[in-house]
Amino acid sequence: MIIIGEKINGFIPRTLQAIEAKDESYIREIAKSQTEFGADYLDVCAGTAPEIERDTLKWLIDIVQDTVDTPLCIDSSDVNVILEMMPLAKKPGVINSISGEVGKCEAILPVIQGTDWKVIALTCDPNGIPTDPQVKFNIAETLIANAQAHGLALDSIFIDPLVTTLATQQTSLLSFNEAVRLIKAKYPEVHITSGLSNISFGMPYRKAINTQFLALAMSAGMDSAIMDPTSADMRATLYATDALLGNDEYTMNYLTAFRQGLIGPAKKA
Amino acid sequence: MIDTEALRNSVGELEEERVDALLDAFLASSPTEEDARAVLAAYQAGTDLVGERFEQGRYFVGDLVFAGSMFAAAVEKLKPLLGFSGGGHTVGTVILGTVEGDIHFIGKNLFKTMLEAASFRVIDIGIDQPPQAFADAAVRYDADIVGLSGLLTTAVDSMRETVEALKTAGVRRKVKVIIGGSIVTGDICIYSGADDWCRNAYEAVGKCRDWVGAAR
Repeated sequence: MIIIGEKINGFIPRTLQAIEAKDESYIREIAKSQTEFGADYLDVCAGTAPEIERDTLKWLIDIVQDTVDTPLCIDSSDVNVILEMMPLAKKPGVINSISGEVGKCEAILPVIQGTDWKVIALTCDPNGIPTDPQVKFNIAETLIANAQAHGLALDSIFIDPLVTTLATQQTSLLSFNEAVRLIKAKYPEVHITSGLSNISFGMPYRKAINTQFLALAMSAGMDSAIMDPTSADMRATLYATDALLGNDEYTMNYLTAFRQGLIGPAKKA
Repeated sequence: MIDTEALRNSVGELEEERVDALLDAFLASSPTEEDARAVLAAYQAGTDLVGERFEQGRYFVGDLVFAGSMFAAAVEKLKPLLGFSGGGHTVGTVILGTVEGDIHFIGKNLFKTMLEAASFRVIDIGIDQPPQAFADAAVRYDADIVGLSGLLTTAVDSMRETVEALKTAGVRRKVKVIIGGSIVTGDICIYSGADDWCRNAYEAVGKCRDWVGAAR
């Protein structure tokens, strides 16, 4: 599993509070803890008003890179902002994101051609966010072809089949998993990721939904997630599911994680 | 005639079977149009209970959606008695859409259902709509309120441009503008030039009712 740490995001109230108070130490803390708990990339998203988005992102990126070596996942809905932030990265990371929306592929793909940058591609287009798995697959296919045309290797592409909210769409997981299966059957090297906490939006006790979604989606072939690796429940689900799916030889990763205290009952107080 | 208080409470408690039983018994009793209006009003009052409980944190988004579906089903069944769609009269017209550059729709659709439950006429122009589309619809449908939805940071500038387009079209003084979506705050409301903002669909419906002078 490729873990993208989700916490440095101004859409999360606690992080927004730190951004507004210019609380550097909190940002350092969540950059460090997410890295320690296994994040392969750290998502950075301003979540602030457009006129200060650039300044906020730059501030976040500087703090993160001064704290850890973990590569960045630069997250903005404005491709111009992403393009301006890329030169600040000390090493290639992940672009979050492109999609079938007009202009996004055209802006990003030529820039990362021939580099080690990877890209998250969302399965939405000018018609919106599809719920039909076949439509999700069709958009993914177009995005993959477009990325390949710009010389990207298949394993540099992360498709996010955009999980919809369970509270408003009962078949959300089923549709997501079907899309994952369709994409993985044709493009086994392409990664599938998900900003999965959207599944439980508007529901109580979200962690029950999020952990089970993670397990079920992994069993359909999802091999990356944008999540909080510092959550003990998410981490335990991750290691246990990987072992159950036969991805963990002799269950050594699970056992090692237990011995290191990464998973297991909370110790002391 | 049925016990409208019982109906209101059952809608509020989301007791679908009991609500259906009450409605079926009512429909079997050769009701008048006036009776049907009273029943619809009881549904609306019950939906309000659901909204209040949502604000209190006792109910969740799924409960709102479910209440909306019960209401829509009731309107379908009552339609033949009511002459035409809805409850006959409407309290105002709302133009609703997701602003340019954004394609999220869940909050918008929920707001639409709740507005309809509150007797508004709703013109939903869809997602990723340019400023001019809102202005055109506001003129064409003689709107009282324009609702702008958006979740992305880029939606904020689209909201501002949409308010500008309403000015250019000469309808800004005639309509109230409300913005909603997870990105929206009081500061963004001021920046966009909207009249007000909301944290959720239920709160937004209350503000719309106040604007058109409809009873809560």
